[in-house]
Amino acid sequence: MKKNILRRILSVLTGVALVGTLFTGCTSTKSSGGSGGAKILYVETDDDDTFRASLTEGIMSAAATYGVTVDQVLTGNSVAKQVEEIQNAKANGYTGIICRLADVATALQIEDASDLPIVFVNNQPDDNRLKDSKYVYVGSPEEDAGTYEAEFVWNKLGKPSSVNLVIMRGEKGHSATEGRTNAARNYFKDQGVQVNIVFSDYANWSTDNAFNYMSIIDKQHVAYDAVICNNDSMALGVVDYLNKHGKADIPVTGVDATADGCASIAAGGMDFTVLQSAAGQGERAVEAISIMADGGSISSVAGVTENGKYIWVPFEKVDASNVSSYQ
Amino acid sequence: MNKVSKKRTTIRAKFLLSILPILAATIIVLVAISAQLSKIYLEDMSIAQLDSSITNQSDNIESWLNKNLEFFSTVKHTIETTNPDEQQLQTIINSTYGYNKYAPNGLYIASTNGKFIKAAGSDQKVSNVTGEQWFVQGLTRVNMDYGTAYQNENGDFVVSASGILLLEGDDTKVISSDVDLNQISIIVNSGVKMDGAKAFLVDRYDGTILAHPNASYVSTNLDDQTGTFMTGVAEHVRSRDYESTTIGKYYVDFKQITGSDWLLISYVPKDLILSNIRNLTFILIAVGVLALLLVGVIIWLLASKLFRPLSEITEDITRMASGDFTVDVTAASNDEIGLMAEKMKEFIGSMRHMISSINAESAKLKDESENSNRVSESMFNASQSQAEAMQGLNNTVDQLAVAVNEIAENATTLAMVVTDTKDNSEQANISMKETVEISKKGRDDMEHLGTAMSEIKSANQELVVSIGKVGAASEEITKIVGMIAEIADETNLLSLNASIEAARAGEAGRGFAVVATEIGNLAQNSSASAETIAKLIQQVRDLIDDVVKQANSSAERIEENSELIHAAVETFDHIYTTIQTSNDQLEAVVNNIQKVSDVATNVAAISEEQAASTDEILETSKNMVEHAQNITSNSQDVAANSNELAGTSQTLADHVAQFRI
Repeated sequence: MKKNILRRILSVLTGVALVGTLFTGCTSTKSSGGSGGAKILYVETDDDDTFRASLTEGIMSAAATYGVTVDQVLTGNSVAKQVEEIQNAKANGYTGIICRLADVATALQIEDASDLPIVFVNNQPDDNRLKDSKYVYVGSPEEDAGTYEAEFVWNKLGKPSSVNLVIMRGEKGHSATEGRTNAARNYFKDQGVQVNIVFSDYANWSTDNAFNYMSIIDKQHVAYDAVICNNDSMALGVVDYLNKHGKADIPVTGVDATADGCASIAAGGMDFTVLQSAAGQGERAVEAISIMADGGSISSVAGVTENGKYIWVPFEKVDASNVSSYQ
Repeated sequence: MNKVSKKRTTIRAKFLLSILPILAATIIVLVAISAQLSKIYLEDMSIAQLDSSITNQSDNIESWLNKNLEFFSTVKHTIETTNPDEQQLQTIINSTYGYNKYAPNGLYIASTNGKFIKAAGSDQKVSNVTGEQWFVQGLTRVNMDYGTAYQNENGDFVVSASGILLLEGDDTKVISSDVDLNQISIIVNSGVKMDGAKAFLVDRYDGTILAHPNASYVSTNLDDQTGTFMTGVAEHVRSRDYESTTIGKYYVDFKQITGSDWLLISYVPKDLILSNIRNLTFILIAVGVLALLLVGVIIWLLASKLFRPLSEITEDITRMASGDFTVDVTAASNDEIGLMAEKMKEFIGSMRHMISSINAESAKLKDESENSNRVSESMFNASQSQAEAMQGLNNTVDQLAVAVNEIAENATTLAMVVTDTKDNSEQANISMKETVEISKKGRDDMEHLGTAMSEIKSANQELVVSIGKVGAASEEITKIVGMIAEIADETNLLSLNASIEAARAGEAGRGFAVVATEIGNLAQNSSASAETIAKLIQQVRDLIDDVVKQANSSAERIEENSELIHAAVETFDHIYTTIQTSNDQLEAVVNNIQKVSDVATNVAAISEEQAASTDEILETSKNMVEHAQNITSNSQDVAANSNELAGTSQTLADHVAQFRI
């Protein structure tokens, strides 16, 4: 209740501030013709990753749907470049930002670089950096991915009371790494399953790293029942190793449902993946920023959380039974 | 003011009684709202502060963990890249001893074949290398990471950071280093940024308490704890509900330490915040009470100032009500009260005037009623004596009636005597009148004689006058003769002159000279005739004068006779007058006798009438007696009324006397 009151006060104040902004001269906003003509800057590190490439594609196609202009800039991992781009955005006539943070810790600098609303994608900033209908994260709930993986593995193994598990983590400190790994472990804990972690390390989303780690594990001659990976790339490395060492029957799961991942599932390599809908996130991101650029509330956008800070695009489970529809 | 009933209250008191509760209520509401809002804000602020504190702490712990981990990883990386022999490896391990103060024993290495390498100075005891927790956990990762807490063989609670050391060989080596849980506790608790807040660290998967301000908790399991707070926290950890919340008497916040299984739990007693709120509320109440007092006093003073003229007027009115109109109303203010005072003043003025008038009038009335009293008393007395007097009068009139009757009888007798006298005197009158007739005849004869004498006299006078006229005519003739004589003279002269002229003229004038000589002759004749006439007239005149002398002497004689006659007439007149007078006197006597007779008759009649009148008078006086008696009783009533009036006017005077003016 208190928070609701505070939120109301905040929203009123925000409304007042926004009205104030209108009067202090957002002529460019008005001259661009409202949401139909919103001009959005898409600040992206790179499109090297399959998922990010798909995300960019999703954003661009959604721009046409929502009638907004989206200009993409690639900044690499340079925070300074990102800040600079955003500082100039307003002067260049942009009314909103879509940003894939180079570093989640720099969210505050990115926000302070301008007074434009920002939709963060792919890399999730800290909760306290987000603000209702102003600084919003569009993504998929990482915990769901981990939970789905663990759920698949446990069912696949016939719901045993204890599991020997190998976990291939992504980048250390990455929100997806933390969220997916913790969710998987928590799933087993919640089921009352004794988890014996045979190996768990950061393979940095890398196929090769995963492959190497598998060889290190095997060096110790320890048994493991399944391999859970934070993404498909690592899962492919694991599958490659297992296939080469006659352990193809060990379940391997990934996340992202990349083309390679899906192909592996179809070929009987990987067993399970979840689709983080790049197109869906791109569309929600564009929808949200087009509303926020006009000072509106995103409360009507599908998948928005109660606090207005997140828009969740749900994961989809992909296994051998339905992989064909994702290829 | 004190005289009025005790239930009475002042308008100021009413005003204060109505305004002060409202004021008090307003301030109480304000204080209550302020306190409530402060409570909400302070709570939110405290939670935010707790959140900020725990974030700071978790960052501290994270960076502390990472710093140590980086040190360990660097050593590991060095070993892996240099690929040292056993000797070199020992040297490297020795060099780590005491290098990091949080891991004083440095790093150590163990192999699946049971080989254990530790720094030279290390006091670490290891009996079963491959059974050690750090070794087992180390085998699950290549990158060094922190495992779960445990008690080592030295009896210390530690957390090991361990990982597979990638070196050539058939065996698998694990490199590890220990950090003391006590040290972590210090780091955890030194990072608290909120007064009164405390924090502890747990392994969120197995529930081991890694750090706690109370050392006895360290390394025990959260799930084994008792007490509302700890079991509450355990419940939250189990259900992974890491939202800030209230557990028991504490605000609690949770924070996962990124890159580890650790969960930082920070808590602050609600009392701490509530005591602040209580203090604030107390201050608010104190300020409210002070404000109430201050504003109350100000309002009281203002009300006193505003209503003072009113209470003065009220006092004045109260005094007026008690009859004191000597009050002096001052109309200082220019508002309605001032107007009221002004009008009061006017009212008092007119009242004073009126009361003094009433006073004077009532005094007068009193005097008059006293007078009236006296008058009515004297009237009573007078009417009483009048009644008595009337009674006396009544008696007198009775006697009068008797007397009048006697007079009437006497008057009748008198009338008879007078009638006899009257007859005798009438006889005398007749004789007298005969005498008068005779004397009158004598006088008339005398008068006839006088008249004849007068006629003679007048004839004589006419004669004189006629002679006079003749004299006058002769005079005229004299004058005319004179004029003829003059004209004759002049004509004579003229004829001379004409003769002379005619001589001069010679022959021509001869004729004329004859005429002139003739004329001269005539003139001389005329003059001689005139002289003759004048002589004749002179003789006439002398004759007239003789006649007049004769006539005048006749007149004198007539005059003398006339006077004698006149004397005789006067004598006759005297006789006649004397007789006439006697006659008149006799007639007057007769008349008087007649009058006496009449009077006597009248007196008799009047006396009779009087007798009748006295009866009426008697009747009337009886009535009057009754009236007088009525008057007496009426005057008694009047006396009573005027007494009453005197009393009333006294009362009025007394009432009016209550008003002091």
